[in-house]
Amino acid sequence: MPTAAQITPDLAAGIVEHDFGRELAQRERRFAAALLAPAFLALMATTTFPLLCLVYTSAFRMDLAMPFSNGFVGFENYRVLLADERFWSSLLVSLVYTGSTVILQVVIGLALALLVMDMKRGQGLFRLIAILPVVLSPAVVGMIWRTFMLAPEFGIVDFLSINAGLGSQNWLGDPLLATVSVILIHTWQWTPFAFMVLLASLAALPEDIYEAARLDRASAWQRFRRITLPLLRPAIVMVIIMRTMVALTAFAAIFTVTGGGPGTATEILNLYAYRKSFTELSIGYGSVLAVALLIVTIIVSGILFALRRAK
Amino acid sequence: MNARRLRIIAVTAISFVFLLAWAFPILWSVLNSLKADQDVLAYPPKLIFTPTLDAYRDVLFGSQSILPNLISSLVISVGTTVITMLMAVPAAYALARLRFRAKKFAGFYVLATQMLPPVGIIIPYFLVLRNIGWIDTYQGIILIYLSFSLPFAIWLLVSYFEDIPFEMEEAAYLDGASRLRTLWRIIIPQVRGGIAVTIVFVFLNAWNEFLFAVVLSGNTVRPVTVAMFNFVSVEQTLWAKLAAVSVLAMLPVVVLGIFAQKHIVKGLTLGAVKGGGRR
Repeated sequence: MPTAAQITPDLAAGIVEHDFGRELAQRERRFAAALLAPAFLALMATTTFPLLCLVYTSAFRMDLAMPFSNGFVGFENYRVLLADERFWSSLLVSLVYTGSTVILQVVIGLALALLVMDMKRGQGLFRLIAILPVVLSPAVVGMIWRTFMLAPEFGIVDFLSINAGLGSQNWLGDPLLATVSVILIHTWQWTPFAFMVLLASLAALPEDIYEAARLDRASAWQRFRRITLPLLRPAIVMVIIMRTMVALTAFAAIFTVTGGGPGTATEILNLYAYRKSFTELSIGYGSVLAVALLIVTIIVSGILFALRRAK
Repeated sequence: MNARRLRIIAVTAISFVFLLAWAFPILWSVLNSLKADQDVLAYPPKLIFTPTLDAYRDVLFGSQSILPNLISSLVISVGTTVITMLMAVPAAYALARLRFRAKKFAGFYVLATQMLPPVGIIIPYFLVLRNIGWIDTYQGIILIYLSFSLPFAIWLLVSYFEDIPFEMEEAAYLDGASRLRTLWRIIIPQVRGGIAVTIVFVFLNAWNEFLFAVVLSGNTVRPVTVAMFNFVSVEQTLWAKLAAVSVLAMLPVVVLGIFAQKHIVKGLTLGAVKGGGRR
């Protein structure tokens, strides 16, 4: 709020201070509107407008391959969705993929952060290497794993498997192995992220609590259980929220590695919506799948944010 | 003492395994990109070989050159970054500093736009762009990239604007400077660092994007992440060339990542608080 000191004497003589304050506030509002307008117009055009279109097209039969049969169908697409086994299977794959990758990232990331925290030398090297997977395009990561790491009788993982006596495996051709593979690839790329965030949070914890605990002869496990974990909780929950949202809408790393296959074994809901819309060209039904994904995202984030608020 | 030494050895071994696991796939691609064709296919895999730049020469200047795709990626990334920053800096300043009605709602709106799954945006967008003939154009791709780069940049910048002391602006107003002038001359120089970090992130995300690119690209505009697929087909994979293309696609982001290493944790944390990067 403007104070009397901000108003020059000759101005103050002419205007009641209250009106001047109101005018200043109004000018501030106009300035704010001018600064926000370009960004908000762009955001509305690229997010809100497509969302409204999506809901609209979800009420149509819109098949680019068979345009003559297109038309308004109301909630028909949604009715089909509920009876669609491929939808339920992709939803299950999504939840398994998201749940397992997030748990693995947080557990491994936290364990490594605790380990590295105690290191006297080599922390810098860890931080440097950890940056690498995180900045890469998931499409490139997927391509590297699909070829140089997992290709049968060529990739390094297969080479190790043969030498370990497990034999050559069809890493991406077997439904179970392919699911494990895409989960591990995602975990490989994003664990460093959890690691870096948790390491930074660990470094910010107050030292004196640990001193006090040591004086009280608390064991390492007790210190972890009773001090580190509760203090780190906000950071851990934040990592979980962030990684869940990304895993739910992961696309490139699965698309490049398995394309959803074999069959629909690694087809997460996101990928199903893509395939339906752009491979099978059923835009209307693809829209319904995307709406379903949005609803799942909202439900999951609602649960996670409730978790964050809960003590 | 013995238990302590054992512990140190175990810790070192475990950390070494993880360092190797993270670095190896990247190093292995670099090594393969430097191999001649017969060395790539050698079994067991060769760690020692005569390096050659043949694969790079082929993918850059050969018949299947990816040079146009690298240029596409660069134009898209730079274009997205410039437009995003021009819109995000003023918006972030307003959200961080100015008082206006519905400020809370505006902040929430920016946050909420990130909740939309990208596949939900691209379906209607594809239809619209197809109608106006913007498929396979730079403007089409850059426009839709704003859907994820803008909210991210705005939120990251807000956190930097909030760190500046209020006194600086007040002093400028007392000197009779206009609001715009104060923003340009006093405030923006204070957040140079934050702006630089934001630029790095927006560029990274645009360079790495895949879903929008794969739907909207064509023969004219095809970023390198999509063009990579030319080197893998059902009949034949061109291993050394694929490795070279992967390395070229990784190079700019790895350099940026190492260069901005210190700031990246902050950016990643904030960037995804709202709901996720474009992965």
